[in-house]
Amino acid sequence: MTATAGAVDASGSKRRRLNPRLSESWRRRLPLLPALLFTILLTQVPFVMSVYYSLTNWHIVPPGPRDFIGLRNYQHLFSDHFFRSAVWVSIELTVVPVIGSLVLGAAFAVLLDRKFFGQGVVRTLLITPFLLMPVVVGLIWKNQMFNDLYGVMNWVIEKLGGSSVDFVSRYPTWAIALTLVWQWTPFMMLIMLAGLQSQPSDVLEAAKVDGATPWGIFRQLTVTHLRPYMELGILLGTIYLIQVYDQVAVMTGGGPGSTNVPYFVFQRSIGGGWEFGQASSYSIVVVIFSIVIATIALRVLSGLLKGEEIA
Amino acid sequence: MRGTRGLWAAAVVAAVVAVVAAGCGGKSSSSSSKGNSINVAIVDNPQMKDIAKLTPSLFTAKSGIKVNYTVLDEGTLRQVTTRDVAAGGRQFDVVMIGPYEAPQFGRDGTIQDLTPYAQREASYQLSDIIPSVRSALSTDGKLFAAPFYGESSFVMYRKDVLKAAGLTMPARPTWDQVAAIARKVNSPKMAGICLRGKPGWGDLGASFTTVLNTFGGTWWSAKPDGSIGQAQVNQPAFKQALQFYTSLIHDAGEKDAANSSFNECLTQYKDGKVAMWYDATVAAGILEASDSPVKGKNGYALAPVKDTPASGWLWSWALAIPKTSSKADSAWKYISFATGPQYIKEAGTRIDGGWAAIPPGTRNSTYKIPQYEQAASAFADETLKSMAAAPIANPGTSKRPGLPGVQYVGVPQFQDVGNQCTQQFSAVIAGRSSIDSALKNCQTIASQAASQ
Repeated sequence: MTATAGAVDASGSKRRRLNPRLSESWRRRLPLLPALLFTILLTQVPFVMSVYYSLTNWHIVPPGPRDFIGLRNYQHLFSDHFFRSAVWVSIELTVVPVIGSLVLGAAFAVLLDRKFFGQGVVRTLLITPFLLMPVVVGLIWKNQMFNDLYGVMNWVIEKLGGSSVDFVSRYPTWAIALTLVWQWTPFMMLIMLAGLQSQPSDVLEAAKVDGATPWGIFRQLTVTHLRPYMELGILLGTIYLIQVYDQVAVMTGGGPGSTNVPYFVFQRSIGGGWEFGQASSYSIVVVIFSIVIATIALRVLSGLLKGEEIA
Repeated sequence: MRGTRGLWAAAVVAAVVAVVAAGCGGKSSSSSSKGNSINVAIVDNPQMKDIAKLTPSLFTAKSGIKVNYTVLDEGTLRQVTTRDVAAGGRQFDVVMIGPYEAPQFGRDGTIQDLTPYAQREASYQLSDIIPSVRSALSTDGKLFAAPFYGESSFVMYRKDVLKAAGLTMPARPTWDQVAAIARKVNSPKMAGICLRGKPGWGDLGASFTTVLNTFGGTWWSAKPDGSIGQAQVNQPAFKQALQFYTSLIHDAGEKDAANSSFNECLTQYKDGKVAMWYDATVAAGILEASDSPVKGKNGYALAPVKDTPASGWLWSWALAIPKTSSKADSAWKYISFATGPQYIKEAGTRIDGGWAAIPPGTRNSTYKIPQYEQAASAFADETLKSMAAAPIANPGTSKRPGLPGVQYVGVPQFQDVGNQCTQQFSAVIAGRSSIDSALKNCQTIASQAASQ
């Protein structure tokens, strides 16, 4: 959804540059209107309902009347330290995987950018983690990698003479973050690879002719060239990773250190809390924060594209 | 210009891949029930898996009713059934619930009264159902869920291991005795005892609450009218019980305890990785089943106590029909098959575990089947004794709010409070949080729920 918004925004700015007549632009928009109406009905009506619910004390267990209580849910929200710790976990589970997968993805992209035998196969294999369902990723890591009795990691640790560690229960935040890094590295790799392959070869050749070392070329030309791609990777990665739910649900099922905001909202609503009013207020706050982040992201993104075009 | 194209290509790839990934992640099936079929949600314990396997040959072949099973773990099942029943989800025709939910849902009028169905059908033998189980699943004399199996909790232990260590288990042990034995037999290869540590009110919450009861603690005080009073999590008895439970796990508990519940402990016990196990009596049938590696090696003792005469829980996985189901008659036919006396007899010769592994604890007649008496001789007596001893009306040392219950408090708030608090306690078991901070958080959670 955010990506679509970005496209609309970017093409809008292009249109302004072309300076078309108003009637023409409306003629172009007209066929889009049914789709727009449909989107508004599907996304905005439920949102308005959520806003209303967030002002009520609607809960179904124990069953009771749905009373209008004004902003009480929001007042409670800011004094709720469980919500605050969920926000903190969300930040950890976004920042760590984004940075980790970006660094690893860049490294793999640099390796893949060279020609070697079997390049196609290796590239496909490297992309695979991203094509798995998030739930499957969570289960694979929880059971095959982290498990205390038959997991690969503890098997290695025990072979090396160490004693086994309950990764998921002892270090839930790091276990989930590691899983996310594994899954999102290919995403970052693809973006960085696109960056590397769009490097103008004449500039690289000129640098070589001028006697620059490979490391010097990489540091001074490639890294500079890759900067906008890194920024794009960070922005998109943040937008996707802030909504992680599946891995939390299957790996730990929540708890201190792994309940992030999406999971917290789930728990307070259909996940056992059944407080739809309170949970709605959480999600409204999340939506507001998401809009702020997305707006900043889109600004930076369209700035990047504009800068590129001028260059 | 080339650079732009590259960046756009990257953005498009990212967007497309994300959409594909999101599509993969979504749930694809909305259950459509066509023809004469019913949707049934059950818990993923061994006896339920057995009946799911036998249903096509024993039920569908005769009745023509196709049964679509949804098998879920305890926690998820509760979310799904509450959504379906209390919020009118209309997804299922039969749901598996227990004595915690049945009277509450029944009182709220969201599930069908099964008494008229059961009385109309003489072969169902309603009066054969064990009275304590029947009353736990009823309110005002109306049966709201038909028991598939019934259980209490007790201690299972490896006779050979205790004997080798020169120890004996009393028939009515105290928690101090059990803890001492667990610490003595604990070794790097075999843990002393398996106790539930997985978050969830029906997981860690159930085991722990029986300990809490007998230690003299409770979740909430009761007001004179029986409604929910003050949260009691910050009381000394509560802390003492939690300290006992977590330190026993730390000293002599199973591996990865914070992730273990019934099924995990069952696996570890069968693999010889734990010497004792405090859990549901229904486990004994699986331990003594003909395909069990520990068959014949086990002893059984009543649930350990401290300040109360008995502490075992009372539970039954039972089948109920949501009021929203439009196929109540087919649903009852299924329930009558699954919980009637006939299935128990038919299952004995057909399931992998043999007679010992049939669904126990629901009918007096089960305990009069000669083959079962023989196969279950090691634990049938203890099971019945435990179920009879379960202090359902008066589980602790003080008055409880809400409906009767041992390992839970019979108020709607308990589900949520139990789930949230056991997450805190599980973090203590995992060693990443202190008892004091867990209790402080839990007191906040329980107080908030009480003020609702």
